[in-house]
Amino acid sequence: MVICITPKEYVEYIELVAKKIEENKDYISELDSITGDGDHWANMNMGFQKLLECKEELASMRLNEMFKKIGMLIMTTVGGSSGVLYGSAYINASKVILDKEQMDLQLLCRVLEAELNAIMDRGNAKPGFKTMIDALHPAVERLKNAIEKGLDGKTALIELKQGAIEGMNSTKNMEAVKGRACYQANKGVGHLDPGAVTMCYQIEVLVDYLCR
Amino acid sequence: MKKIINKPNDVVSEMLMGMVKANPKLVYFKDLEVIASRVKEKKVGLVSGGGSGHEPAHAGYVGKGMLDAAVSGNVFASPSPDRVLKGIQEANTGEGVLLIIKNYSGDIMNFGMAKDLAEMEGIRVEAVVVKDDVAVKDSTYSTGRRGIAGTVFVHKVAGAKAAAGGSLDEVKRVAEKTIANVRSMGMAMTPCILPGVGKAGFTLGENEIEIGMGIHGEPGVERTCVKTAAQLAEILCGKILADYDFAGSECAVMINGLGATPLMELYILNNEVEKILKENNIKIYRTFVGNYMTSLEMAGCSVTLLKLDEELKELLDAPCDTPALKV
Repeated sequence: MVICITPKEYVEYIELVAKKIEENKDYISELDSITGDGDHWANMNMGFQKLLECKEELASMRLNEMFKKIGMLIMTTVGGSSGVLYGSAYINASKVILDKEQMDLQLLCRVLEAELNAIMDRGNAKPGFKTMIDALHPAVERLKNAIEKGLDGKTALIELKQGAIEGMNSTKNMEAVKGRACYQANKGVGHLDPGAVTMCYQIEVLVDYLCR
Repeated sequence: MKKIINKPNDVVSEMLMGMVKANPKLVYFKDLEVIASRVKEKKVGLVSGGGSGHEPAHAGYVGKGMLDAAVSGNVFASPSPDRVLKGIQEANTGEGVLLIIKNYSGDIMNFGMAKDLAEMEGIRVEAVVVKDDVAVKDSTYSTGRRGIAGTVFVHKVAGAKAAAGGSLDEVKRVAEKTIANVRSMGMAMTPCILPGVGKAGFTLGENEIEIGMGIHGEPGVERTCVKTAAQLAEILCGKILADYDFAGSECAVMINGLGATPLMELYILNNEVEKILKENNIKIYRTFVGNYMTSLEMAGCSVTLLKLDEELKELLDAPCDTPALKV
């Protein structure tokens, strides 16, 4: 399986993520009102709806410019913590894309790694803090290993998805270190981190889209 | 939900427009939700901000002797970096800009990104982080202590230093000195309702209060039954005095209302706080009683103590003229 993602395809993927987030309103809102302030779904949904509004413009851009634009749109519409974290992630990813017209598996891996690094830097956070990083970090690690081992494209993508799902599930027993959940007496233990859940959705949708 | 609003999504912009209509010395930048001083003097610029819902913080402190710009996010949500960048640009007159940030994850990240963006434009930016809430254990690992009412003292002191022509480094130094010497402790009696949500995020029983609750309704240290003003003063001051050695010093005191507590009750609390400070050999230099850092319509209060030296006294006494504080 050969992976080649153009701006047009990335926008198709964004549409699927927007749909996935829209469908999970009650679940995400409820998760966030247990440990946070309950606005994570509304903020993420607002961001992806904004991307949908701009989809024609985005699809017509060069790949790195499109990533930068997505970053700015998310940063300005989502606000709060998620906005600046996803914004930083997309802007940092645009820097590794350079003048490439499309992403192959290797570039996708570097893009995801650049996103992960931006989120860890901006959030001053590490794996294990019960955040979106706990879904993205193991996913990127599994994809990197798969590529190094020379596994075929589809198997590597399945590794990426499995890493995200297992990482998301691991947040259930973690204590929150950052954000509003860390003020709770039990630090959110027993509940999945909503930021890790929406991060996992994005990776799952990406893999399902590429393996369609 | 009973509120004087139109649409929940419009509360921030409509509030700021109303504020500017009442205060012609301020200017409002639509969509970016920035309030800035209309008059620009060549000096270090001061910018603060954060989620809305804490009025008069922070836009009410824009004016002579305090802030040059305030940036508002949605209710209880940090403003995005592009908004903060606009605040920095408005406050910058070439002498550099100091950001005064309350210690919340979202504010730290959004103001941090805005600082990077402003530096790319060649603006010199420094930042200080206020963490005065002794209800939270201090920690270098986690987000740690929240920034609450003590932030207003940081605005006042740093603003006075900037107005006196202090350099960016000097303004930052007095801001940090204030942060090192300020402690606050609060309590809540009723929850608040976010306009976009329409119902309270938590409940407190008829006879129940929460000691140490944050200004966004974050959990405090203890739920207990209603106390007398004397008992509350004892609890709140006790926490503060156990955290930092104020004995023998001169202090500024702030008795802050969270939004729905009448001034009558704040003065009663102040009467009790004064007695406790006297017993602890603490001299009160200046007292501020009012609604300085609120939490929508939450009932409750916070007590803030700032330990003063000659420099801080002088800066606290320097004139300022803003919608919410005039000295």
